[in-house]
Amino acid sequence: MTRGLSVLRVRQLTLVVLLLAATAVAASAEDRWLHIKVDDSGGDNEMVRVNVPLSLAEKVLPCVHAENFDGGKVRIQGNLNDVDLRQLVEAIRDAGDNEFVTVRDRHEDVRIAKAGGNLLIKVREKDGESKREQSTVDIKVPFTVVQALLSAGKDELDVAAAIRALRTQGNTELVTVNDKTESVRIWVDSRSASE
Amino acid sequence: MASRTRVIFQRILLGVLGAVLLLGLVVYSEGAVTVYVHDKPQGTRIWLPIPALLVDAGLSFVPDRDLREAERQIGPWLPAIQAASAELARCPDATLVEVKDSHEHVLISKYGDTLRIDVEDETDTVHIALPVGLVNSLAHQLEAAGGPA
Repeated sequence: MTRGLSVLRVRQLTLVVLLLAATAVAASAEDRWLHIKVDDSGGDNEMVRVNVPLSLAEKVLPCVHAENFDGGKVRIQGNLNDVDLRQLVEAIRDAGDNEFVTVRDRHEDVRIAKAGGNLLIKVREKDGESKREQSTVDIKVPFTVVQALLSAGKDELDVAAAIRALRTQGNTELVTVNDKTESVRIWVDSRSASE
Repeated sequence: MASRTRVIFQRILLGVLGAVLLLGLVVYSEGAVTVYVHDKPQGTRIWLPIPALLVDAGLSFVPDRDLREAERQIGPWLPAIQAASAELARCPDATLVEVKDSHEHVLISKYGDTLRIDVEDETDTVHIALPVGLVNSLAHQLEAAGGPA
């Protein structure tokens, strides 16, 4: 009888712990914010800060019906020359961490790689003479987000699905661009303010 | 006798005051839309507080034809506006957008139940504050206006 009661208590306790964990996961997913920070020191000293809760973007995007953007999906313009992006991404996802594309010339280094479940794109623009870096672009996108982005039709990007996938990720540095006068940073974290 | 009249008068005054206070509380219970405009070169300042309840009710006095026209123009965006306002009401206080350059400063923020838009440039200062719930309510009314006549 006592043993039966203690088993019941353990089950109840497990249920409570599971509920608490589920609430914590839901809360952390709720509180993700997308931040965009642009600083341009040239000319007008322009500064842009955007802080958007991902939950807001997730709810609003499917309601937008505009040209080339419908129900959270954007139609890809231009010719992809029958390249199946989904298959390409799946092939990269199934492969191990590696550098898949490297392009180097006098003015530019471009690297596309997979590392730690992320798709990495690095671009370094150099001064032809001094070889010093003029601008740098770093893009890091979790593969689950890339897959969600390509989960719609062949010529479409499912932005709403990508946002949903992004909400399940931890703090993520998505885009960093730096050049002589301008810096751009796009990232996701749980804070409502960018600084 | 005079004292009795004074007591009755005081009671009436108290009743009127209470009614006005209650009416004020009801009218402002839904918040208020405030608009502040400062035209720097002219030196004119306008501050306009309008109870949200009156804005909401005021829409029912707009002719149907005008409402349908407004719905026709922003109709495609109404679902997005409704979704955004509903979600904004739930999200914590934050600066949503800030744009600043050497001539202008624009700030869109959410504070409590209020959406604030502040614009400061060389010639004007504009502050607009409106309850987030009002946006949703107006969008619903406009959507209803676009239904079958």
